[in-house]
Amino acid sequence: MNTMTIAWIALPFFLGFLTFIFPKLNRHLTLWGAIASFAYGLQLFFEPSPIQLNLLDNFGVTLQADQLSGYFILTNALVTAAVILYCWYSDKNAFFYAQTIIVHGSLNAAFVCADFMSLYVGLEVSGIAAFLLIAYPRSDRSIWVGLRYLFFSNTAMLFYLVGAVLVYQTHHSFAYAGLKGSPPEAIALIFLGLLGKAGIFVSGLWLPLTHSESETPVSALLSGIVVKASVLPLLRCAPISPELDTIVRIFGVGTALMGVSCAVLEKDSKRMLAFHTISQLGFILAAPEVGGFYTLAHGLVKSSLFLSAGALPSRNFKELQQKHIDTKIWIVLVIASLSISGFPLLSGFGAKVLSMKNMLPWQAIAMNIAAVGTAISFAKFIFLPHATQEGYTVKPGFWPAITLLIGGLIAGNAIYLQAYNISDIIKAIATIGIGWLAYTFIFKQLAIYIPRFLEEFDHLMGAMSLILILLFWMALA
Amino acid sequence: MKIVSMDVMSTGVIAYYVLIASRDGLFSPIVGKVENPAYSDPVPQAVILTAIVIGFSIQALMLVGVMKLARDNPTLETSEIEKNNTP
Repeated sequence: MNTMTIAWIALPFFLGFLTFIFPKLNRHLTLWGAIASFAYGLQLFFEPSPIQLNLLDNFGVTLQADQLSGYFILTNALVTAAVILYCWYSDKNAFFYAQTIIVHGSLNAAFVCADFMSLYVGLEVSGIAAFLLIAYPRSDRSIWVGLRYLFFSNTAMLFYLVGAVLVYQTHHSFAYAGLKGSPPEAIALIFLGLLGKAGIFVSGLWLPLTHSESETPVSALLSGIVVKASVLPLLRCAPISPELDTIVRIFGVGTALMGVSCAVLEKDSKRMLAFHTISQLGFILAAPEVGGFYTLAHGLVKSSLFLSAGALPSRNFKELQQKHIDTKIWIVLVIASLSISGFPLLSGFGAKVLSMKNMLPWQAIAMNIAAVGTAISFAKFIFLPHATQEGYTVKPGFWPAITLLIGGLIAGNAIYLQAYNISDIIKAIATIGIGWLAYTFIFKQLAIYIPRFLEEFDHLMGAMSLILILLFWMALA
Repeated sequence: MKIVSMDVMSTGVIAYYVLIASRDGLFSPIVGKVENPAYSDPVPQAVILTAIVIGFSIQALMLVGVMKLARDNPTLETSEIEKNNTP
């Protein structure tokens, strides 16, 4: 088993290397990499105990693979496979596929490692490869968006490095468990790095622009899985001590509310989806014990939403209301929107019920408001006018990718079947109903534009230092 | 300019790692004739090597991106670039 784990981590990088040597095989090699991860992720669920590995003596790399990482690995495999299928008939060259599989591999590595240093390497490699994917069209705008992303994530990771060495100074080890008993500044610095990189709370305001200005498949990949790489360590840190657990939960609630309130007022479809990524990350963090399942449901739904939003004739909701969109795409949008709002029969429902069950009482009210907000904003997609259009075609790779993702959403139901009882079903439908009513009567007419000055480059950096001070006081308290 | 300042920051972090490593002593941890010298901790030094390489490669990548941007924005003011490139 140990050999298999190491071989599986190394495989994507090897495949990425091979892609440069045999550019003709690019799609096939990348797809096989994703299938291998899928198989590995599945078998983690049947493993009786978590796999613990300690490579190279005492100070070496430590790996830990359990069910929680299993969920993340499955999400990673499915999202990557869908993105490759989507691009199958496009004219993307070998470089694009190689970067995709390298992102995939570095995320896999970040999902199984159990010490701060290996995590740093995994996150940085994924950041660099994600930058290359964002800048792939090589237009001025894409380069600027990519540079902004790279600069922000690298600065956050520098803070993280300082935190990591403070942990080492206290315990002479880089293991996650060392966070307990470390000085408060170490906790604050490490959390700042992870929160910034994951796009959580105010330090996550870099995310909407980056995700909405990238190409369709790239934003599906970024939103579906790349941001989750830094969420997993937060989930792993939460059970270490009750104080850390409280910090993670508070940030979860704050993020969910902030993301959803921006999303409700947003007029641009891709930006709305990006704000929703922020709010759903909040849902994952608000119940750290069961975040894995929520990640799976959200990763699948968000990448299918981004892929189908890319097939719409316009990005602006106002214009979409005038035009008729094709019924086939509308059906996909409805299924995905229903899942993310927590409608029964789709895995978003099970995930939401499970998370709500594991929340503390003070969180439940805020999270229910956030759930209603989710329903309100996705009503924008559901109530778009639609008609069957002759001769309307989408990209040829669109349907295989969407089938895979929606199939995953329905199959995901099996993970938590206990969710299907009368009270939870009624509650879910009531939430969606309230959301839709609110949308029809209030939010459809509303035209408030949120000022975007906080998303400017300088303010992003400023917000990062403010969050650092906030985190320090939270860790001290 | 911002990229250069980022490099200064990363140098600072590296120096901090070296400082932590040398808290117990300054001798390099190699077996020698001296009995029990106050040697420095090799782990942070080994670990920061990775970070140096990563920081350096990111630096190179960003400078290439900036060179591309410089063709249309010769002054390289971030506020100007941002104004032209945000919707």
